Amino acid sequence: MTTLQNVARYHLVDRITYVALPWGTLAFSFLVNLVIASQVAPDVNSYYTGGLLSIYVFLLICGALSMTRSLPFALMLGLSRRSYYLGTALLVVCLGIVYGLALAVLQVIERATEGWGVDMHFFRIPGILDGPWYLTWLTSFVLLVLFFLYGMWYGLVYRRWSLPGLVAFIAAQILVVLAVVVAISMADSWHALGDFFSTATASALTGVLAAITVAMGVGGFTTLRKVTI
Amino acid sequence: MIPTISATALSRRYRDQVALDDISLAVEPGTVTGLLGRNGAGKTTLMRIITGQEFPSAGAIRVFGEPPAENDAVLRRMVFVREEQSYPDFRVGDALRVASWFYPNWSEELARHLLADFGLPPRRRIRKLSRGMRSVVGIVVGLAARAELTLFDEPYAGLDAVARQQFYDQLLTDLAEQPRTVLLSTHLIDEMADLLEHVVILDRGRVVVDAPADDVRGTAVTVNGPATAVEEFVTGRAVWQRRQLGARASVTISGPLDFAAQARARTMRLSLEPLSLQQLLVHASGSSADEEVSA
Repeated sequence: MTTLQNVARYHLVDRITYVALPWGTLAFSFLVNLVIASQVAPDVNSYYTGGLLSIYVFLLICGALSMTRSLPFALMLGLSRRSYYLGTALLVVCLGIVYGLALAVLQVIERATEGWGVDMHFFRIPGILDGPWYLTWLTSFVLLVLFFLYGMWYGLVYRRWSLPGLVAFIAAQILVVLAVVVAISMADSWHALGDFFSTATASALTGVLAAITVAMGVGGFTTLRKVTI
Repeated sequence: MIPTISATALSRRYRDQVALDDISLAVEPGTVTGLLGRNGAGKTTLMRIITGQEFPSAGAIRVFGEPPAENDAVLRRMVFVREEQSYPDFRVGDALRVASWFYPNWSEELARHLLADFGLPPRRRIRKLSRGMRSVVGIVVGLAARAELTLFDEPYAGLDAVARQQFYDQLLTDLAEQPRTVLLSTHLIDEMADLLEHVVILDRGRVVVDAPADDVRGTAVTVNGPATAVEEFVTGRAVWQRRQLGARASVTISGPLDFAAQARARTMRLSLEPLSLQQLLVHASGSSADEEVSA
């Protein structure tokens, strides 16, 4: 266990990448949107932004960096790939808990101030991040871990197969999506799918996301096993 | 006693190239072994397999008696300092602090002493260091870790002669204090020759020499003197190389020479010069090394 904790601490030495930059970009995005929201007529419509995405995208970048830039030194220090992956995953879980709670608190404040006084929906996303604070915490946690693990997988594919591998990886994902789309069309199930998403509760969606997160973790771990530096 | 490293019929093939070709060797605990060979001889590949960073195509590798790949119990007992090691965006001090978490025998005192000795500023970012100073970071981690098995793969890129000498001195001093097994790959052979207790020479993926350093040093001798006397002396011995300049000749023959032969050389006024490790490597790896027996 202490080895895994030390791997997590190893990443956190670089606090700029893992703490300052994700929250810095989110704060920047928030302020830009706040200025815009204050300029549009408040009584016409509520102002929705996609600015919350910035923190998730940044965690994806952190995940990719953790498996590329930080890997060689860790292997120099006699860590197995398995310990390195699991230790990094431990860090992700901790970050997800703390950052998810922070996002939930910010959402509570946003609701209490009626959109920061300008009717802005920054931390509230209809249908998925709009419920009670504990559900927002849980969904945010799952999303943060999902994006980080997804980034890790990208980093590992790059480490193992370089740029051609990365292109093939993206192409493979597009093919998977295409196959799903074709399968749904052939089964004539678009209505059923639409019904599921329009009626699904946030917690059901979170369950789907959690399943995808596990798939990301398994995929990354499998890729890592033969990575060389 | 279990050897610290043992390789059995180990091979590593890449698509169109054989990096290691059926090699077998053993490294005994507590020794300093030099892994010598030309560029591309397979030194780095072997070290990567020993540290579980690369996988063999065939054969077996055992470290502390167990396969090293993904084996935490084995990996945790070693440190591998590579040529041109890359680091995260850390300060020098951060890298040392992180390394100290993973090694139970880590010596903070030694790390501080080495930083001062090499003039490495702990607050400086590693990416802003010169090539030589970046190499020093690896050397400091490798020495201060005091891991049971320490591997250095040409760790001195960009280091000047003075700093390299400091590295050899520090390594010897600390080995005396805290004995451990060291595997060093290098092509600055004569500089390191005094450090080595055992020598393994690789050539195109094969082991061509695997012997105690003292034995290797006596493997060949160059005889210098008047051509006729030299020819008379080397008759019946395996000749490695023959050079003649006017009336003088210089012939390299297989050693070691016994006491009687040495005395005979003295009375014939011939000078004997043992071949250095470096020259040996050139012979061992060169295609002209085919021996011929002088008539």
